[in-house]
Amino acid sequence: MPDCQYKKPRSLRLSASSIAASYVAISLVVLILFAAPILYAWNTIVEERSTERLGEDAERLSRVLNNHGPQALKTVIDAMIEAQQAGDEKFILLADSQLHTKEGNLAAWPAGIPDDAGTYQVSFSLAGREVDAVMVRIPLSNGDQLLVGRNEARFGTARALFWVGLVGAAGAALFFGLSGGMLIRAMLLAEVQGISRTAAAIVAGDLTRRLPTTGETNELDMLAQTVNRMLDQIEQLIRGVRNVSNAVAHDLRTPLMELRSRLEELTWSRPGAAEVFPAIESAVSDIDRIIAIFNALLRLAEIDNGLSRSGFVATDLTKIVEDAAEFYQPLAEVKGLRIRFSGTRENLAAADPLLLAQAVGNLIDNALKYAMYEVRVSVRHQGRANIAVIVCDDGPGIAEHEKEKVTQRFYRGDASRGTPGVGLGLSLVAAVAKLHGASLRLDDAHPGLAAQLVFQG
Amino acid sequence: MKILIVEDNQRVAQFLVKGLGEAGYTVDHAGNGRDGMFLAVSESYDAIVMDRMLPGDVDGITLVASLRRDGCTKPILILSALGEVDDRILGLKSGGDDYLVKPFSLGELLARLDAILRRAQNQQQCSTLTVADLQMDLLAHKVSRAGKAVGLQPREFKLLEYLMRHAEQIVTRTMLLENVWDYHFDPQTNVVDVHISKLRQKIDADAETPLLKTIRNAGYMLTANA
Repeated sequence: MPDCQYKKPRSLRLSASSIAASYVAISLVVLILFAAPILYAWNTIVEERSTERLGEDAERLSRVLNNHGPQALKTVIDAMIEAQQAGDEKFILLADSQLHTKEGNLAAWPAGIPDDAGTYQVSFSLAGREVDAVMVRIPLSNGDQLLVGRNEARFGTARALFWVGLVGAAGAALFFGLSGGMLIRAMLLAEVQGISRTAAAIVAGDLTRRLPTTGETNELDMLAQTVNRMLDQIEQLIRGVRNVSNAVAHDLRTPLMELRSRLEELTWSRPGAAEVFPAIESAVSDIDRIIAIFNALLRLAEIDNGLSRSGFVATDLTKIVEDAAEFYQPLAEVKGLRIRFSGTRENLAAADPLLLAQAVGNLIDNALKYAMYEVRVSVRHQGRANIAVIVCDDGPGIAEHEKEKVTQRFYRGDASRGTPGVGLGLSLVAAVAKLHGASLRLDDAHPGLAAQLVFQG
Repeated sequence: MKILIVEDNQRVAQFLVKGLGEAGYTVDHAGNGRDGMFLAVSESYDAIVMDRMLPGDVDGITLVASLRRDGCTKPILILSALGEVDDRILGLKSGGDDYLVKPFSLGELLARLDAILRRAQNQQQCSTLTVADLQMDLLAHKVSRAGKAVGLQPREFKLLEYLMRHAEQIVTRTMLLENVWDYHFDPQTNVVDVHISKLRQKIDADAETPLLKTIRNAGYMLTANA
């Protein structure tokens, strides 16, 4: 089957990748949306605030000088340096107008600080290492210069950590997004390929194939299950059509053959009127039989294709069943049988009363063919919401292996040989049941058959 | 009685012309809807029997509908190979008085034609039906034969009522199924015959002259003429 080989659908490949890519893009955007405010908050709150505080410290020291004199200032500076915890996070330097160190924890005035008062970002070497610092310089009232600063190294680590974290997260999103996307794509492709291959095999004529299902409740599996149910239906229909054409061939050809031979015989034997007319009459009744089969088949087709649903109305089920039982009562009496009806008042919201009458009639007619003493017909609730029409006979029943087959068109069980009918009765009942979403069940009544038409409530 | 047949199939038309002619009707035949329309409006017929699927631009349904629109009240019987429930309903809705699915027997056609012709003749309502010494009181739901009350089940009453309303006419099994039980399908057993024989036991058993007769290959007739 060269033309049935599976090809990767191009659009699917594209769509799986582009879905993965767009998910990665979305996660990156989310990451940025998350990081940007943090960065902004960092800058405004932490850095600006701490720079502000440096300014405040400088102002405070300047006020100490103004209010309490240079000695007090020195004491305060010493106390602040003393109070400082491990490390050299804060720098304080008091220098004279020539920038010679007077007090503080810096040995010398760092280079690179402009002459004016202000806040500056500077790098200088301290005890042999480079230090990044923010420095606030203010002139004091006695002409001295005060420098208050903060080592940036502490924040630098945090900022570096932040960026590492951000880049790491972006990388992770990229990696997991893309690999997850590929994985999903691969899985999707595998499943779709499975479906496609099966479909191709079915197209090629193997109707028994079914899509693989895992029994899980994911979307593709649900789709596969639905497709499988559809395939079951198609297979059944096709088998039905095949059976019907075989059955039609058999059941129509036989009477047609009889008819043809009867007429042909007349053309060559040319008998007298006394023989011709009975022969013609039986020919006409042969035709009537063929017409009956034909009508039954057409009616089945009509029911099967669901057109009859146009006749759905609210229906008094019990009345239909009771009427049908009453309709067949005289026939039962003639056969020395009786029909017993019992039932509760049950209505169906939407049903075809004509078809229901015919279906129930067929069940009763069937039961009468096999019953020994009586046929029991009843309508009753079953389970919580179901309504069942039960037609029970006390005849030989149907063997387990025949139950499947009796609803097939033209099937006639061993017990029915020699009884009138064209073998379409139960298949019509089954078709009517299906049209109404009901089920036809054939149970043992010990003895006899209990045919149940169960309507879902 | 003059009948117009509109039927395009030559073989069927010949069968109808001959069959209705032998049944005592005067018959005209048109082979398509246009001719049928022309004849129907220019001549005076007691009833029209027409095929549903006619060649050309005027098919059976169009023909019935336009005749009815023009005020024609003559009984019309539609013949058709389309036998689905919806087809039947459409045929009757467009103005047909009855709808007969092909293939049919001449007996069935004659019985139905007779029925729609009489329905057209006596439209008047009455409260009692009488055939010979059989009487039915429709209001009191009582039946008597030669003055003696006959007890009937409700469905038997309906069956007898239909037969009495169509007294002196042949009534087919299908007509009974459709009109008494409202069953538009063939039960494939002789249930109707059994109902009839049960009814016959009740109304004819003690009488000298039976009223309910079986007409071979056609159906039944309730008749006062022995």
